[in-house]
Amino acid sequence: MERFLLKNIENPNSADIFEYIKAGGYKALSKALELKPSDIIDEVKKSGLRGRGGAGFPAGMKWSFAAADPKKPKFILCNADEGEPGTFKDRPILEKNPHLLIEGMIISGYALEAEYGYIYLRGEYPQAKEILENAIRQAGEKGYIGDDVLGKGITFHLNVHQGAGAYICGEETALIESLEGKRGQPRIKPPFPVNEGFLSRPTVVNNVETLANIPYIMEIGADAYSKIGSPDCPGPKLYSVSGHVKMPGVYELPMGTTLREIIYTHCGGIRSDKKLKAVIPGGISTPILPADKIDCPMDFINMPKHGSMLGSGAVIVFDDTVDLVKVCYRAIKFFEHESCGKCTPCREGIGWLRAILERICSGSGAEGDIDLLMEVAKNIMGKTFCPLGDGAASVVQSCIKNFRHEFERHTGKHAKAGV
Amino acid sequence: MITVTINGKKIELEKPVTILEAAGMAGINIPTLCHHEMLEPYGGCRLCVVEVEKMPRLQTACTQYVIDGMVVWTETERVIEARKAVLEFLLINHPLDCPYCDKAGECDLQDLVVKYGPATGRFAEGKRTHPESYDDPIIVRNMERCILCARCVRMCDNMQSASAISITNRSSKSFVEPFSGGRYDCEYCGNCLTVCPVGAIMSRMHKHAYRPWLIDKEIDTVCSFCGVGCSMVLQVRANSIVRAVPKTDKGVNKGLLCNRGRFGYDYVRSKKRLDSPLIKKNGNLEKATWSEALAYIANGLKRIKEMHGGDSIAGVISGRCTNEDGYVFQKFMRIVLGTNNIDSAAGFAYAPAQKFFEGIFGQGVTANSMHGISNSDGIIAVGGDPASINPVLGLQIRSAYQKGIPVVTIGYMPGLKRFSANRLITQPFTETTLLAAMVSELKAKRELSLEKSSFEGIIRTIPEVSINDAKDICGISADDMRGALDSMSKMNNPSIIIGMDILQRSEGHANLLLLAALIHLLNGRIYLLSELPNEQGLIDMGCLPDMLPGGRHLTVESFRRRYEEFLGVEVSPRQGLSLMEMIDGANSNTIRAMYILGENIVSSIPNSTYVKGALANLELLVVQDIFMTETAQLADVVLPSLSWSEKEGSYTNLERRMQRLERAVEGNGMEDWQAISEISKMLGFDMNYRSSRDVMAEIAKVSPLHKDIIYEDMAEGRCMWPYKGEPLRHGVSIEGIEVPDVQSLMMRPDKNRIYVGIDNPLFHADTLSSNSAALHSISPEPYVKISSALAEKLSIASGDYVSISTDAGSVELSIRIDSDLPENIVLIPNYFDDKGIFKIMKWKMHPVTKSPVMDFTEAAIKKIKSAAKEVSAWISLRR
Repeated sequence: MERFLLKNIENPNSADIFEYIKAGGYKALSKALELKPSDIIDEVKKSGLRGRGGAGFPAGMKWSFAAADPKKPKFILCNADEGEPGTFKDRPILEKNPHLLIEGMIISGYALEAEYGYIYLRGEYPQAKEILENAIRQAGEKGYIGDDVLGKGITFHLNVHQGAGAYICGEETALIESLEGKRGQPRIKPPFPVNEGFLSRPTVVNNVETLANIPYIMEIGADAYSKIGSPDCPGPKLYSVSGHVKMPGVYELPMGTTLREIIYTHCGGIRSDKKLKAVIPGGISTPILPADKIDCPMDFINMPKHGSMLGSGAVIVFDDTVDLVKVCYRAIKFFEHESCGKCTPCREGIGWLRAILERICSGSGAEGDIDLLMEVAKNIMGKTFCPLGDGAASVVQSCIKNFRHEFERHTGKHAKAGV
Repeated sequence: MITVTINGKKIELEKPVTILEAAGMAGINIPTLCHHEMLEPYGGCRLCVVEVEKMPRLQTACTQYVIDGMVVWTETERVIEARKAVLEFLLINHPLDCPYCDKAGECDLQDLVVKYGPATGRFAEGKRTHPESYDDPIIVRNMERCILCARCVRMCDNMQSASAISITNRSSKSFVEPFSGGRYDCEYCGNCLTVCPVGAIMSRMHKHAYRPWLIDKEIDTVCSFCGVGCSMVLQVRANSIVRAVPKTDKGVNKGLLCNRGRFGYDYVRSKKRLDSPLIKKNGNLEKATWSEALAYIANGLKRIKEMHGGDSIAGVISGRCTNEDGYVFQKFMRIVLGTNNIDSAAGFAYAPAQKFFEGIFGQGVTANSMHGISNSDGIIAVGGDPASINPVLGLQIRSAYQKGIPVVTIGYMPGLKRFSANRLITQPFTETTLLAAMVSELKAKRELSLEKSSFEGIIRTIPEVSINDAKDICGISADDMRGALDSMSKMNNPSIIIGMDILQRSEGHANLLLLAALIHLLNGRIYLLSELPNEQGLIDMGCLPDMLPGGRHLTVESFRRRYEEFLGVEVSPRQGLSLMEMIDGANSNTIRAMYILGENIVSSIPNSTYVKGALANLELLVVQDIFMTETAQLADVVLPSLSWSEKEGSYTNLERRMQRLERAVEGNGMEDWQAISEISKMLGFDMNYRSSRDVMAEIAKVSPLHKDIIYEDMAEGRCMWPYKGEPLRHGVSIEGIEVPDVQSLMMRPDKNRIYVGIDNPLFHADTLSSNSAALHSISPEPYVKISSALAEKLSIASGDYVSISTDAGSVELSIRIDSDLPENIVLIPNYFDDKGIFKIMKWKMHPVTKSPVMDFTEAAIKKIKSAAKEVSAWISLRR
């Protein structure tokens, strides 16, 4: 398949604006500026583009909500706080193809009549910060950004804001709080950011990959775009594959490619041709799948039917040498560390899960520990303020549901040397 | 109309509210922890989850709004399971040290666990540890007990707007900490204590002193510190106040208090309280019985009245005395001693300001509800920092600013620093020029006709001062002035908040006129800041040389006759002496005796040496006080009085709301009115009051403003202006208003001299705060505030000691630096014995207001020694 999101990235200078323009960049912007803002929103709606951050909310619909709110000014925020273990799909765009994101943001700024855009960048992406800031400067020099975009009398200013290392700031309302200079904690919804977001103004928060799709929709039109990949959630999708495959990396494939195709066709299969044991399909907040579920198409519609979620499309592959109790423990340690502490079940419950798993891993797992884990996870699931808690609970629930025997090996009379 | 069904009960609602509120209306209780009625919803604890039909997840009742047709169940098995789980989670890290914790018995978490369980937790690992912090003199933090509901942080950020604390760290390692680290660098309002549901933030003042269930009684009363008159509950055990707490649904403060009100009550049980009458014998004050002391006073007054006439006697009353004290005192002076020589510190500025505005705009014009401030369309504050003088009123301004209401501040106001878009800090004593320029600009935009009000004729004749002239004199850029004028010209009914500093000036009278013009031009509502709890009450009770009870001037003959008729004695229509005139009179022997009720005039009016000399000159000085003040030390007889919490009566606050004071503890002394009526009896005039209620009953008969008033009306909050009586109706009176000439509107301070001014600290209020261990521990040392420019010029650093000298004297003080101050003024508070500003400030009497004029006292500063390290380490630069 022809790559769009990762077009040209083999070129060592792909981040430079001249290379980008040479390869056809910023044409979509010129095209978009010929349209009325509402036409662009309609086009995005028609394309069927869904948010690529994990929730899969229809992007055009989100835009139309913000556009309908009369409050001014409006803001377009790019969520580049890519921080979930296994997820590194946005990084090639940020570092290798920054102008694609910038072009997407200018178009969305125009469509939303938002004069200010911010890229909320993960704190641990220092190179990307430099590259993005350089690209924004170049775009300004070329007249794509500023008080008179391409002489059309449109204003669009873009800034990069570096996060300080909190996973929770990838949640859109926590991101907004953090951008406002406050402690990164999610807000009560409603009101939603599209009505009262950054500085209480209508704000659209879109993922890097979502925004990077906008120029493509402009370029090939909504009709052609909607025919790529899965019919209900079309378009190209970036899959970041890590773990025990021969060729880990970021792959641009049509939405709905099966896990099997991703692992065996594109990534060259399992390392040392070992046996596949399990896959986390969309970043560690998505439920783990056993090897027999890999024929599922990777999209927002089909994954839930198979007991997991597409999430960010971060595929983590485990071969049969892996102890899933340890995987579970490691994942929960992450969630405990990243819990913002606002709500009780997430703050206290995940710490408890970690304590039990730590006990099991150290060889002191008691008979009832597996049931206790399930009970604690149940008390977290669906009861937390934001989805972070659900993510943590689902890791435990899916690991135990699919691989209970592995946990049993470490608890009660079987508990010996630990993991 | 919205209909919701909660637990099968149908509820009809006018507008959408949260499920929690809707349930509350239906009498259904949903448990909460992070929710607090004073704060915005947070949704953190997850305890208030409920089941909503057609919604798969449990919903938090505190954040979810009802929609028409919603069906809610609040106590299903699923809900109870979820609540139990939340409590089990909370108890993972919450220590079970309830036997030791002061909160036990009034702890929300404890109560909830009792209701929902679980009886035992399944968490087997160790709890987090976090040593209790005793770094602060007042507030103890026990972060092991913290359940991270963030109520304290939200209170601090959104209600107090102090932003002094924050949640630090993430996950279960989170805890609350002041930004300043261990010791708080905050306003010490203690409102975080009110909202903490567990024992995580506690006051050291009552730590391990009692159990909540061992409280003997709770007394609803009013705070004794300032003119806001916050409602509070005094919790009493063994005749001692153990805690002062607000009630969220009560009073002008609706759950808020300031540092003074919350922590300052401990002066009541100070060891320095007077416990016996004293009579001066051979130059020493010696203990005497009540009978001896009262007879001594009666005889003395009788002798002096007979020899020199009643007008050789003068009376001074403090704004901390009740309406009942005030009424009986003025009656005693007028009827028994036959003089109108009665005044108080309210007569310095508060009373003349009110009188001036009432003359133009009508009686009661300063009676405006404090809650109106945050609902007005603009705020102009001038003449003193409201956030320090009347802290809870200051919060109204902060909250208005946060709602986007324009705030203009004129003068140095550290407490509103972050809450004003137009901050105009003038050169010392040049507010007159700035106000004149503002009036000139604003009146140019309106047509002024005599038809509307004769006052407009006066406004027309106020000399013009241009922005250009004002710019140089006031040291404020033309842009800043225009910015403020721009904000002001958009205001249609602003709150104009006036501090008394602006009146105690050579041009005090011009300032009043300019403010009145501003009020007229902008259609403003007036608020007069009042440092004492009952300045307004003293005015209403006639404790002024020219006013009778009920807001009637002595010269209103019809009323004077009524008053005489009622009391059966003639009252002289001749105006008595003002306080400053009394001091001068004592000095020149025209005043032979003074009776001082609760006022420490040696320290509360300028030039202490002069005042002391004058008082020493008296034949008889009677002082009734709760402490051996510097004034009491000069007395011939001292009577111990009762403190606010030991007496009954009423206060009238700055918005003219009468509120009842209830006795919480028994004191060792006599009510002020009681001692006076005893003396009165000895002088042959019977005053038969059995209680303060009897006094109020007489007030209700005599004063046309207080017609038929009884205490129960006050408790119900029905005693706003004009209480239940009749205000005086009169037309606009512009007689006697002098329009200043243009020169006096443009007085220029000398840039090369240093002047002294009064600082109004948040943490102190006269003799009371200096006897409060708590307030002293917050701000233990007298200081002088200087600008950073001056500090640099004199090579002085924060915490260094300097000597400040004027013609009147010299004091040694430590330095605080504030970059907001103009270079040629230093500010000193007046609340430390022997180190206050009035030791070195001179005054002259204003010819019209008869108030002390206190501007343009020049000073010299000399560095004495550098800062001691441990002192400079924590000196707060915030105020």
